[in-house]
Amino acid sequence: MSIDNYRSHYTFAMDFGTSDFKFGPITLGDQPRIVNNRGYFPDKNSVMYKAFETTADVIVGDDVPLYLQSAEDLSSRLIYPMRNGMIDRSDGQAWRVVQTLTEYGLNAFKPPTNNGFQGYYVVASLSSVSPRYMYERLMSAFLQNNHGMIRAVTVIPQPFAVAIGHGVTTCVVIESGHGNSQVCPISKYPIRAAQVALNRGGGDANAITSEILKDAGYGDLANEEALVRKVKENIGLIPADLDHAVKEAKQSPRKVRARYRVPGTRVEIDLEKDSWSRFLIGEYVFNPNHEIFESYFNRGMPRPRDVKMGDTVFRGMLDFGEAIAISVERCPVELQPMLYKEVLLSGGNFSWTVPTKLQDIAVDAPTKVKLLLRDRGIKNVSIKMTNAPQFSVWHGCIIYGFAVPDNYEWDWQRLEGWMKVPN
Amino acid sequence: MGAHQTPSGNQEKGVSFQLGTEKAHVIILKPDDLVQRNAVLDAILTLSTLRHAYQLAYLAAPRLFGAGVDSSMFSSRGIGLLLYDERRIDEAVPAQPLHAEPQTPSVIQNDDKAVVTELASLKTMYLEMERTINQLRTDITTLLNTQPPNEEAFRVSPSPRIMTPPETFHQNGMPAGDLPSYFMNNPWLDVLSKRGSGGEPVAG
Repeated sequence: MSIDNYRSHYTFAMDFGTSDFKFGPITLGDQPRIVNNRGYFPDKNSVMYKAFETTADVIVGDDVPLYLQSAEDLSSRLIYPMRNGMIDRSDGQAWRVVQTLTEYGLNAFKPPTNNGFQGYYVVASLSSVSPRYMYERLMSAFLQNNHGMIRAVTVIPQPFAVAIGHGVTTCVVIESGHGNSQVCPISKYPIRAAQVALNRGGGDANAITSEILKDAGYGDLANEEALVRKVKENIGLIPADLDHAVKEAKQSPRKVRARYRVPGTRVEIDLEKDSWSRFLIGEYVFNPNHEIFESYFNRGMPRPRDVKMGDTVFRGMLDFGEAIAISVERCPVELQPMLYKEVLLSGGNFSWTVPTKLQDIAVDAPTKVKLLLRDRGIKNVSIKMTNAPQFSVWHGCIIYGFAVPDNYEWDWQRLEGWMKVPN
Repeated sequence: MGAHQTPSGNQEKGVSFQLGTEKAHVIILKPDDLVQRNAVLDAILTLSTLRHAYQLAYLAAPRLFGAGVDSSMFSSRGIGLLLYDERRIDEAVPAQPLHAEPQTPSVIQNDDKAVVTELASLKTMYLEMERTINQLRTDITTLLNTQPPNEEAFRVSPSPRIMTPPETFHQNGMPAGDLPSYFMNNPWLDVLSKRGSGGEPVAG
């Protein structure tokens, strides 16, 4: 395959994650530039706004902290546009942040003049459950005010980009973030009709952790979101089998004792005889159907419900094994064995570790998914974590932008192709 | 040295003088003014209003006027009294020099709280930046003192492939060049290069 010399320099990718905006041209190599996926709308009457002599109505990138004022302002002025992977059609502020970020990203890599630059080939990625209007709004953001920086633009789903970055053309990608999770079969193209979305993510693991802390006498700490997340990450475990793990833990509490000291403080959390509950945290993410969770629901912990967002129904109580099976079974029968052989887990919600002394009762995320599928009679499976999970979407976008022919034009039915920018 | 006359304001009666750094103003009453009921009063009131403009204010009146006036009326107001006749002029009551009142610092009104808050915020930020800069200076000094500069120390591992843009752009395809590591052996390059060639159905 011959190399397009122009695109070996002027391919540009943008990954709009829930927390971070990763961007940059192919020439950055393995790592993109990263800023928070957020924007701040400053008070134009403030002396800070005037002192910095800016006319921008929204601030993005590394300058945001300079403009932050009182904590009361943050909820109304500091906007995270893609906290749940989607932006409401009418959310003007969020779309303004997205547009500003695209301009910010491109301007950060403005080539010198008169070197033959005719605009970047830009590839942006969105959540796989993004409805069509998000593609329309994002394309519109690129087409406006590009100032000759864009030659052509396209948008691809994040799981598709993960598969490309991982180098697997037939697979199932499972993305799990803070608010939700998606199961996405890929076979040279995203198989959109087979996607399954779950209304469950890292935020739900935080919720069960909070309840565990309350039960253990740490009710005052249970309301601090950042702390609860740290506790979850440090003491949470995924059980191979929840009943067995709880029984073992209650018989040998010292073996599974869960202790966490908050860095830089004297605060230490010690579950002591309740350390068996650390297995609930991991189990809840993968399968919330165990009867043990009913007592938490009865006490008021929100039960994950089925909700519709955009065009997609997010299932609340479906476990990961069932979700993968449903998704794969919507694909052609011939394809199904190949899909089971390449299941990729992507996203921070799968980053669970296994302490050496607990390897007989705790497992990592790929093993748990394998066990859930085995319970459904699906045995010939291969489950892996993605390489470089933080950058795999950006890598996939770069490869897509480099390789797809210039004459493959955008089509609103298939949601692929290049949208050429008139200059 | 000595006083020299300076122009008075358009509306002001009398004459003005510059005495070193002090400015003086004198309203002169003539003998005929003494029989006019309001002339003296008018002169004194005028001098009172001009106190802010001149350090020294004098009423100059015929000596006869001095016999019937209480000097405390002038001294309490800081206005000097000069009495004159054909032979000499006497300073009957010295004028009290008027000094500028010390400027009171402007007090930030309660309704400027927003400005105060933001100034405090700016100050905090400045102090934080200063602390950060000092810490950075200390860290750099420590680093330089403990380890000599070494090119290897600044090399990122693995080396990022940073490519400079070409001087001119050539449309022709070229043999495979220096691409990022995740391009290596990636089957998607071949799959995606065939997009739009019509050979494959869309899975979607």
